[in-house]
Amino acid sequence: MRPPNTRVEIAAVNPRRGGAVLVTILVACVLVLSAQAPARGGRGSVLQSWFLSLSAPVAAGVGGVSHGVSGTIANTVGLFDARAENERLRRELDARERELFRLRAEAAQSAEDRRLLGAGSALPGVVGSVPILLLEHRAGAQSVLIGAGSAEGVAPGSPLAVPAGLVGRVVTVGRGISRAQLLLDASAAAGARIARTGELGVVRGDGHGALVLNNIATTSSVARGDLVESAGIDGIYPRGVPIGRVESVARGSKLFLEVRVTPSADFSRLTDVLLLAPSPATKEGAEAGRSASR
Amino acid sequence: MKAGRVALLLAAAAVLELFVGRSPYRAFLPVDWFLLVTAMVARSGDFVRAVVTGAIAGTLEDALSQPLIGMNAFAKAMLGYALTIVSVRVVFGGAFAVGAALFVASIANEAIVALLAALLAQSPVVILTRGALWRAAATGIAGGALESAWNFPWRDWWQRRRLRRLR
Repeated sequence: MRPPNTRVEIAAVNPRRGGAVLVTILVACVLVLSAQAPARGGRGSVLQSWFLSLSAPVAAGVGGVSHGVSGTIANTVGLFDARAENERLRRELDARERELFRLRAEAAQSAEDRRLLGAGSALPGVVGSVPILLLEHRAGAQSVLIGAGSAEGVAPGSPLAVPAGLVGRVVTVGRGISRAQLLLDASAAAGARIARTGELGVVRGDGHGALVLNNIATTSSVARGDLVESAGIDGIYPRGVPIGRVESVARGSKLFLEVRVTPSADFSRLTDVLLLAPSPATKEGAEAGRSASR
Repeated sequence: MKAGRVALLLAAAAVLELFVGRSPYRAFLPVDWFLLVTAMVARSGDFVRAVVTGAIAGTLEDALSQPLIGMNAFAKAMLGYALTIVSVRVVFGGAFAVGAALFVASIANEAIVALLAALLAQSPVVILTRGALWRAAATGIAGGALESAWNFPWRDWWQRRRLRRLR
């Protein structure tokens, strides 16, 4: 790093003044953090709900362009491979690609939606498919920003899934976008059931990209490869959606086994997810929250 | 650095964060753009601007991705101050040094956020994950590359190239 140039004023380089500003900002941060009261109807914090609503148009716009560019990159790679086979077709597509840039992105999106909805017909209460705008991993917290909000009927607590398995649940709802907690989050948990033996447990994210199945007694016959699915006992997730497969079983504490689970959904490749209807318990909770806040 | 330029950098960081976040190739480019902006402002040696920029950048990041608004703002304000001290008091240069400083800053950011999340949201403390290390490395590499590009004598290079062509 270069030393500060001579034009920088003495006051600006004064660390005491900077220190005073730092302390002020840190105190403000602590106040903001501690003042984040739950919003009406359990929609997450009021502050974050506002931020999400305000940033919805920008996020949707940039997300659309990014999706379009990604689609174009993928298409260009495909065309490059096919070039040797059919030069004439490639030229035609190249010429039209600029004209149809936006249309193609939209078509790709709707095709993905159709594919997801078709494949997800086995899942209970599918409301629709929503795009993922941002996937964030920070300090064990694993969350996604999805491109749908209260205007599209997203409710807090709505589960998210892909045809392969459960992904997470919506925690904060803005008007056009919402934030969801992934199952891999270190503080996420879901009621789970081993499909073969019917035993119930709690699946938790370990914050490192894997899942742990807790509360399985040492007498259990759970084995590697067993399917783990949602049990529908937590009041959030519906019953029977695949969560993952048992990766390893080890002796944990005296009473319970330590069961590690590999998630069924490929979290590194999420681009669109299916929004499932929130469970009746979640709806009732949200309505009770709304009436209490009135 | 002028306030307008700082605002422009912050807007660019937010756009890049969303642009990369929507892309299916996001796992290859997990750069902490907001930390890069904070470091760029800190590099100018202005403590106040670095702290304020860090706080704004962190707030933007929190609004997009964190359960509590203020955790990254807290961390990045501290890092803005620390990086300005490094920039003003420690005389070192080069892409590697800048990259290493950003790598450490990114890990520190992770640690502060993890600690705050544990204190305020009772989350388990998770710091040194593979994802966090890759993010720190990507941020360090991006910072080092920017530093190299910044210090590269583009004008001389362009003139030499022109002369070569004329001959």
